[in-house]
Amino acid sequence: MERRPGEQAAGEPADCGAGGGEGGDDEPPQGAGAQAARPEARLTLLLRLRAQTKQQLLEYKSMVDASKYFHFQISFYDKIEDLEKEVEEVKTAFEMKKLALDRMQLSIALQKNLEKIDPKTSVLMDNMKHVLKLNKLIMKSHQESWDLEEKLLDVRKKRLELKQSSENKLLEIQTEKNKQKDDLANMENSNKIKAMQRNLKMEIQITTVIQNVFQNLILGSKANWAEDPTLKEIVLQLEKNLATI
Amino acid sequence: MSVLRPLDKQPGLNTATILLVGTEDALLQQLADAMLKEDCASELKIHLARSLPLPSDVNRPRIDLIMFVVNLHSKYSLQNVEESLRHVDATFFLGKVGFLAMGAGQESHCSIHRNTVTKLANTYRSPLFFCDLEREGFRATVAQRLVRMLQICAGHVPGVSALNLLSLLRSSENPAPEDL
Repeated sequence: MERRPGEQAAGEPADCGAGGGEGGDDEPPQGAGAQAARPEARLTLLLRLRAQTKQQLLEYKSMVDASKYFHFQISFYDKIEDLEKEVEEVKTAFEMKKLALDRMQLSIALQKNLEKIDPKTSVLMDNMKHVLKLNKLIMKSHQESWDLEEKLLDVRKKRLELKQSSENKLLEIQTEKNKQKDDLANMENSNKIKAMQRNLKMEIQITTVIQNVFQNLILGSKANWAEDPTLKEIVLQLEKNLATI
Repeated sequence: MSVLRPLDKQPGLNTATILLVGTEDALLQQLADAMLKEDCASELKIHLARSLPLPSDVNRPRIDLIMFVVNLHSKYSLQNVEESLRHVDATFFLGKVGFLAMGAGQESHCSIHRNTVTKLANTYRSPLFFCDLEREGFRATVAQRLVRMLQICAGHVPGVSALNLLSLLRSSENPAPEDL
């Protein structure tokens, strides 16, 4: 797409006398006053043109100088970055120096001013005192906020410690419980208990047999054991099932 | 003359020429009108073009500043600008090229992200301006800026060159070298 829809050329010089050197395409509104203004306007125009051509000559010269370096064809990006860094450094150095210079000038002017004026009544002194007051307030409130932050930190530390110790305790409790469970299980499985249980069983069986023998003795003697209280007691005692005790 | 070179012609006396490249004809026209209304001690010439390369048969004055106008609502305008950038000589990018992105106000219509345009401007190390060309107040402001830039690029302001302006514009805006 290479159409060019419009080409506008506009010649609208702002100062009305600028084009008037050729004898007026633009008609100056005032009559005789403009005649006197025109040579001055011509002079300014000429001076401006001189400045312009100087600047343009400078540009062309610098381009010509720069084009001598273009033959080298080294990587441009690095070079550009280096040059830009240099420019930035010089700029910042300049800014710093300017700042320092301004400060020195300001302080000297201030000094001279103070020497001139009666120090007690000037507005400057009031301002400075106010500034000092505010600074003190600022420092105090900074200190307070710092202290509060310290306290907050301490409280948080303590909380953390407490949490940790409670964690430890709970862990201990858990291990103890587990130990107990293990011990219990061990005990139940131990051999001693098994032997004891076997013995107990044996004894119970023996006593049950003895019980039955005595019962059968008393029954077989055909004595009436229900009437005699001592016999009754013995028989009933023999009925106790020892396995369930 | 398929490639535009910055200093291949003699400068016109007291004349400064700007070339606006973009697909939005009506808005470019309005911007040109706004620029002409501006107070300027030198003569202004404004060329409008849809895309480069420009036809070589016309006798035209030396171009001092090229502004590529990208409409963030249409991807076609970005493509167009990228195509046209190939026909510009490298020496032009020493301060005589700028990018103007319009339509950034309406986020919902933007099909190009702001970062794309910012990266484009960073690659070519040229200044990037954002503007809403449809509102008259903003257009007048951008026109004023462009006129000042144009004066500097044409050499009408003694002591400041286009390259100076470029490094001045750079320091506040983009930390470009780190990205590359």
